[in-house]
Amino acid sequence: MAEPMLRLDSIEKRFGEVDILRGVSLDVQRGEAVVLIGPSGSGKTTLLRCINMLEDYHAGSVSLDGAPVGYRLEGRERIRMRDSELAAVRADIGIVFQSYNLFPHMTVLANIMLAPMKVRKLSRDEAEARARDLLLLMGLADKADLHPAQLSGGQQQRVAIARALAMRPKIMLFDEVTSALDPERVAEVLTAMRQLASEGMTMVVVTHEMAFARDVADRVVFMEGGLIVEQGPPQQLFGNPAAERTRQFLGRFMNAEGRTCG
Amino acid sequence: MSVALENLPYLLRGAGMTVLLSVAAAVPATLAGLCMALARRRTPWLGSLLDGWLFLMRGIPLIVLLVFVYFLLPRTGLDLPPFWGVTLVLAAYYAAFMSEVFRAGFDALPNAQWEAGRSLGLSEPLLLFHVIGPQALRVALPAHLNLCASLIKGTSLASVIGLWELTLASLEVVERTLAPFPIFLSAAGIYFTICFALDRLARRLEVANG
Ligand SMILES: Nc1ncnc2c1ncn2[C@@H]1O[C@H](COP(=O)(O)OP(=O)(O)OP(=O)(O)O)[C@@H](O)[C@H]1O
Ligand SMILES: [Mg+2]
Repeated sequence: MAEPMLRLDSIEKRFGEVDILRGVSLDVQRGEAVVLIGPSGSGKTTLLRCINMLEDYHAGSVSLDGAPVGYRLEGRERIRMRDSELAAVRADIGIVFQSYNLFPHMTVLANIMLAPMKVRKLSRDEAEARARDLLLLMGLADKADLHPAQLSGGQQQRVAIARALAMRPKIMLFDEVTSALDPERVAEVLTAMRQLASEGMTMVVVTHEMAFARDVADRVVFMEGGLIVEQGPPQQLFGNPAAERTRQFLGRFMNAEGRTCG
Repeated sequence: MSVALENLPYLLRGAGMTVLLSVAAAVPATLAGLCMALARRRTPWLGSLLDGWLFLMRGIPLIVLLVFVYFLLPRTGLDLPPFWGVTLVLAAYYAAFMSEVFRAGFDALPNAQWEAGRSLGLSEPLLLFHVIGPQALRVALPAHLNLCASLIKGTSLASVIGLWELTLASLEVVERTLAPFPIFLSAAGIYFTICFALDRLARRLEVANG
């Protein structure tokens, strides 16, 4: 098989004395959409944050497109990358948070243009053209000059997605990007993500939207207690889960299926 | 009142010195305060050092500090002109308070803003300049303006060690004219105008920056 876009090898993470990730390994292929599900507290957010080093982890390794992220090995020693090296790898990893985290003092357009201009060294015109294309794609062409506070949650979240995409990342990470939204706003964000997946973006999506997982995921990964319990294509994992724990977790969602409108 | 008018040019020249002294002290105090607020985020021991310094400055009257330096400096063999001696004391004094004000500004921002910027690949300097700084400064601005006004008024203490500025100029005129009321009223008006103008200017800058 070709070299994966993202490789996680035995990631371990503790907060204080508590093991949060207990050896998570996962390969994500180019163009693959992986959906990560699991109960609250299972470590999904922590895992995503380890991928781009918002959290330091204690053991294991991450590599993106074959290059190490976060730590490099020198002999037997594990050396944390310098801030400048980290910034360079993070530029290739798009992440979208549940709480959008747009820059409130800038317009929508400026939010999207900042990193492409400062990090990728695009000219103002190039960055603006790219930003406007993405806003169009996200159905927000008329919002370019507003400030984030003037947008609905769903609109802010789509700006956050556009901001991450403007860096042309190698992979996109989504952490429950719809769970802070009103139900009627969820669909517009999921539609944007669905389109992204169909265009071949490599992505890891943490979500509780099971219908979305079923339609969009190439592979669904079920995590619990800081471990990957089971993974497989959606039909298999949803239709015929191997592990009892997966069955129980999904059981709760099947009852609520009417609400997960995707 | 004609006494005040006659002597207004003299007082205004004193006011010019007051402004010069204020700028000479406020600019480095602001820069140092900003640098210290940033530096202590990364260097914990520096934080304790700065806390100690702030603790000292908080407990010592500015005038005592001024007189102390005035008498002490010549003994160290350091021949600092009074203007720079006063500037140094004012800057050191207010830098301590300003670093607290800026620290509060930085602390007011949610960590998520740092994380969002880092995730986009922004280096720390870029992040500070474009994302964190503008927001933190906006939070800190009102308190910073208060300190600047306090610094401007604090320059009047320089008169005690014989540095000529607005207050000393007023004292001289009063000695000559024996008309304290119109002269000190004029001086008060000039101090007020300087502080008021600064406030307006800063708020206009804030609006201009969106
Ligand atoms: N900064 C932190 N300090 C201490 N413990 C933390 C910290 N962040 C997360 N944890 C703990 O780590 C565990 C995993 O948290 P994480 O947020 O990764 O779970 P999750 O799978 O994303 O859950 P959810 O579905 O609720 O978002 C939880 O028990 C949480 O309490
Ligand atoms: Mg989470």
